[in-house]
Amino acid sequence: MQSFFSNKKAIAIFVLPSLLLFTIIVFYPLVQIFIKSFYDWNGLSSGTFIGIENYVRLFDDTTFRISIINGLIFAAFLTIYQIGLGTILAFAASNIKTKAGGFFRIVYFLPVVLSVTVVCQLWLSVFNAEYGLLNKIFEIFGMSFSQDWLSDGNTAIYVVAFVNAWHYLGYQFALILAGIKSIPGHYYEAAQIDGASPLQAHLRITLPMLAETYRFCLVLAITGGLNAFTQMFIMTGGGPGTATYSLTYMMYSSSFRAGEYGYGMAAASFLVIECLIATIVINKLMAREKIVY
Amino acid sequence: MEAVIKKSNRKKVRTGDIIYKIFLWVYAIFSFYPIIWMIFYSFKNNDEIFVSNPFGPPGVLRWENYVKALTQYNVPRYFLNSVVISVVTVVLTITLATMFAYATARMRWKGQNFARIFVAIGMFIPIQSILIPLAVLVRDLNLANKYLSLIIPYTAFNLAFSSMVLYGFLRSIPVELEEAACIDGAGIFTTFFRVIVPNLKPAISTLTIFTFLQAWNEFPIALILITKESMKTLPLGLLFFQGQFTTDWGAMGAAMAIASLPTVIMYIFFSNQVEKAITIGGAVKG
Amino acid sequence: MKSKRLMATLLVVMMMTLAFVGCAPAENTEADAPKENVDTKEVKDEAITLRIYAQYSDDDTKVPYDYAAQELKKAYPNVTLELDIQGQDDGQKLQTYAATGNLPDIFQVGTAQIETFKESKNILVLDDYVKSTGFDKKLHASAENLLWNEDGHAYAFPYAGNELVLIYYNKELFEEHGVKVPETYEELKEAVAKFNAADIVPLSIFAKEKWITTALYDVFATRFDEGGIKKLDKGNGSAKEEAYVKAAEHLHELVKLGLLADGATNMNYDQAASLFYEGKAAMFINGQWEIQASTEKLGDKVDWMFYPVVSENPEAKYAFAGGGAPGGYAVSPYSEHKDLAAEVAAFISEKYCEAKYMYRANPLLAVKVDPSIEPVEKFPPMMEKLAKELPNITSTTAFAWGLTEPKFKVAIEDQSQILLTEGYSPEQFIEELEKTIERLK
Repeated sequence: MQSFFSNKKAIAIFVLPSLLLFTIIVFYPLVQIFIKSFYDWNGLSSGTFIGIENYVRLFDDTTFRISIINGLIFAAFLTIYQIGLGTILAFAASNIKTKAGGFFRIVYFLPVVLSVTVVCQLWLSVFNAEYGLLNKIFEIFGMSFSQDWLSDGNTAIYVVAFVNAWHYLGYQFALILAGIKSIPGHYYEAAQIDGASPLQAHLRITLPMLAETYRFCLVLAITGGLNAFTQMFIMTGGGPGTATYSLTYMMYSSSFRAGEYGYGMAAASFLVIECLIATIVINKLMAREKIVY
Repeated sequence: MEAVIKKSNRKKVRTGDIIYKIFLWVYAIFSFYPIIWMIFYSFKNNDEIFVSNPFGPPGVLRWENYVKALTQYNVPRYFLNSVVISVVTVVLTITLATMFAYATARMRWKGQNFARIFVAIGMFIPIQSILIPLAVLVRDLNLANKYLSLIIPYTAFNLAFSSMVLYGFLRSIPVELEEAACIDGAGIFTTFFRVIVPNLKPAISTLTIFTFLQAWNEFPIALILITKESMKTLPLGLLFFQGQFTTDWGAMGAAMAIASLPTVIMYIFFSNQVEKAITIGGAVKG
Repeated sequence: MKSKRLMATLLVVMMMTLAFVGCAPAENTEADAPKENVDTKEVKDEAITLRIYAQYSDDDTKVPYDYAAQELKKAYPNVTLELDIQGQDDGQKLQTYAATGNLPDIFQVGTAQIETFKESKNILVLDDYVKSTGFDKKLHASAENLLWNEDGHAYAFPYAGNELVLIYYNKELFEEHGVKVPETYEELKEAVAKFNAADIVPLSIFAKEKWITTALYDVFATRFDEGGIKKLDKGNGSAKEEAYVKAAEHLHELVKLGLLADGATNMNYDQAASLFYEGKAAMFINGQWEIQASTEKLGDKVDWMFYPVVSENPEAKYAFAGGGAPGGYAVSPYSEHKDLAAEVAAFISEKYCEAKYMYRANPLLAVKVDPSIEPVEKFPPMMEKLAKELPNITSTTAFAWGLTEPKFKVAIEDQSQILLTEGYSPEQFIEELEKTIERLK
C-alpha cells in the first residue's frame, strides 16, 4: 500500500501538468502583481521603485477602508445566504423522490446558467427606486419600506451582495447536493431502521459527512465575497461615490481609471493575502472536525 | 394502532411541512422567473424595459431586436468559437484537476499540502489585476488570437476551483476502495481510472456544468485577449450595443438571450441525464 | 458492471483525445489565414488594411464612423479599415494593447490617456502631419486647445468641438405650476420647492454615470469661480477654497431639498431622460448634444436656460461648464504605415465633423465644415439660440473626460456622485477631494 500511494512516476504524471500550467498562467502574473505593488507605475512606463509607500498609502485611504468593510459584509452575506439556503434546498431536493424533486434540482441551479449581465439587469429593475418592482410591492401593501435601494450608501452594498448570493446560490446547492449523493445509501438505511426522521437522518449523517464539502463551500463563499467585482461594476459602478467599492473594484479603479497601476496592485496583493489567510484559517478551524468512518 | 400513531405524527409535521413546501415552490419561481424575464426583455424597447413595463410580457414582439443582434455580428461564428473554447476548457480542466486532486488527496509525497494550497490561490486572484501581465504572456507564448489564448487561461483559473472540489470528494471516499483494488493487484493507474473516477461521477458531472458555464459566460478575459473578429465569443456581442451615452437595451437583451438560451436548454436536458448517471452509480455502489 | 464502467472511462478518454485533436487543426487554420492575407497584400503594395479602434455602438458614434468610412473608400480606394469596437471599459483594452505592443494603427483617445501614452511613447507626435495634411488650416480658431496639448504638441486629431453642459427645461411644466425659470440660486430653490409640492421631479439626472455628476458639480463651481473643476485639475487651486466649499454646500442643500429623483445615482440615461420626456421632471442636465433628442420628444416645449447665478457672483451668467480638451483620433508610433495612418486619421476626424454637422445637428465641432455642406434637417431652435449666444460665453471648463490628471478625475467623479446622496456631507466631499489634490502636488 505504501508503495502504491508513493509511486513517484504516477505522482509526477498526475501533478506536473497542472502545476506547470498553473505556475505559468496564474502564479507568474501573480508574482508580477506583488513586484509592481512596490512601484509607482502607470501600467505602461517602466515605473519607479518606491518601497512600501503604496502600502502605507493604503492604510490612510478612506476608499481602502470602505472596500475592506464591504468585502467583509459581502463575505458574511454570501456565507449565510448561500450555505444556509443551499443546505435547506439541497436536503429538500434529495428527499423529495417525486418528479418535483427533479424539478427543484434543475430550477434552483438555473440562475447560475444565466450570464451575470442578465442577472444584474434584472435586479437593477427590481430595486429601481422609481420604477422598481420591490418598491411597488411595498406600495401595494401600504408599507413604508420604499427605499433608494441602490442610491443609498448604506443599503447599496447589501443589495449588491444579495444579487451575487442569489445568482450563485446554485453552485453551493449543487455542491452540497452532490455531496449528499455521494454518501453511501446504507448509512441512511441504518438510520431509518433506528427510526430517525429524514431531518434527523440529515442532521446525524449528512452534515458530519459533508464536513469536507462545507469547508470548501465556506472558502468559496468567503473568498468569493472578498473578491466581489462584477456586480459592482455593472450595478453601481462602485457608487454612489465609493460606497460599494470592493478591493477588486478599488484595484480596477486605481489601475485603469486613475492610471495608478502600482497602487492598484498593492490593493490586489492585499486582497490575495487576505483570501489566503482566510483559507488557511478555515482549513485549520474545520480540520479539527474531521471525522473518520 | 400503528396507523393512529402515524396519523398524529403526520399532523404535527403538517403545518411546518406546508410552510416548507410553499417556501420551496416560491424559491423555485424566484429562480425560474429570470429566464422568462430575459425573454420578455429581449422583445422590448428601452422605454418598456425601464419605464412603462419592466416586468410584464411585451405588448408588441419586437423581433427587430433579434434582427439587429443577428445582423450586427456574426452569431454562428461567435457561437462556434464559444462552443469550441468551452468544451475544450471543460475536458482539460476536469482531466487535469482530477489527476491533481487525486495526487494531493490520496498519494503521499513531500509538499503535497503546499501544492494544494498553492493551486488554491487561483481561486482568489482578482482577474482584473492580472489582465495585462496575462496579455503579455499570451503574446510571448505566441498564442494571441488562437483558441488556446482563452482555453489555457480558462483552464488554469478553473483548475483551482475544480481540484478543490474534487479534493473534498476524494477525502470522503473510503480508502478501502483502493486497498481492495491494490490487493487485487491493480496498479495505480488502473485503480485511478477504474475505481476512483467512477466514484467521483457526481462531482465530475457537477464540475462539468460549472466549468462549462464559466467558460461560456466569461467576459473580461475574452474582451482583453481576443482582438480578432473571427475569434470572438458570444458574450462579446454585447459590445455592439453598449454606447458611452446610450445603450440599445432591447437588442442587448436579444444578444444575451442568444448567448444564454442554448445553455439553459442544454442544462435542462443534460441535468436529467446527469441525474440518471448519478443515481445508477449510487445504486451500484450501495 | 465493472466492464461497463471501464467502457465509460475509455469512452471519456477517447472523447477527450478527439476533442484535442479536433481542435488543433482549427487553430492552425485560424492562425495561418491572416498571415497569408497580410503577405498577399504586401506583395500588391497597394491594398493596405489599417486597424482602427473606435466607438461604434449608438447613432452618435455609428453615423459619423459609417460616413467617414464611406468617404475614405472614395478618397483612398486602396485603404481598408478593420474596425475594432471600443467597449465601455475605462480604457482597459487600449492599455493592454499598448502593454503588449499591439496598438491599432489608429485609435480614439481621451485627454487623460494621451498623458499616460505620451509618457510611455505609445502615441505618435502629429505635429508634422498637422501641417502636411493642412489640418491646422481647417481647424476652428476656438478649437486650438483641442488639437494642441499643453506641452505644445499634437497627439490626436480632434473632431468634437468645445461642447457644453446645458440645463434643459420643460416650458409647459414651468408655466403650468407658475414657476419662474430660475435666474438666481434663490429662485432655483423656490422652483425646487414648488415642483416638489406638485410631485414633479425638479431636475432629472442620469447620475449613475459619474461624468454627469462631475458636470453638475462643475455647474455649481462655475457659479463661484469660472475656473470650475478645470482649475483644480491643473493643480491651480485647493478644494478648500471658498468657491469649491460653497459650491458643494449649495448643491448639497438643494439635494436635501429634493432637487433630484429618488434613486437618481442609480439611474441610467434612458431612465432619467424618460422622466424628462414624459413630463415627470421639470429640468434635465446633459451635454448640448441632447438638443436633438429633446427637441424630437418635446418639440417646442423644451428650452435650455442659463445656469442660475448666486448673489456672491452675479456676473457668472456666461461662465459655462463643459468644454473641450485634447482628444480624438491618435496614431500608433509602431504602425507599419504610420504616415498613411496619420493622414487617414486626420481625414476621418474631418469627416466626423461633416457627419455630425449634417446628420446630428451639431455645429460645435473642431474642424470647419465646407460651406457647401448643408445639414440634412434644419437645426432645432435650441441650437440656433446656442449658436447666437456662443460669442458671449466668457469661459468654459472641461468635461470629466477632458481632465488631464486621471487621479483627480477619479476623485471628483466618485465624490461628486456621492455628494448627491443625502447621507454624505459637503465637508467629507471637500476633505476627500483635498486629500487627492494634496497628494498630487
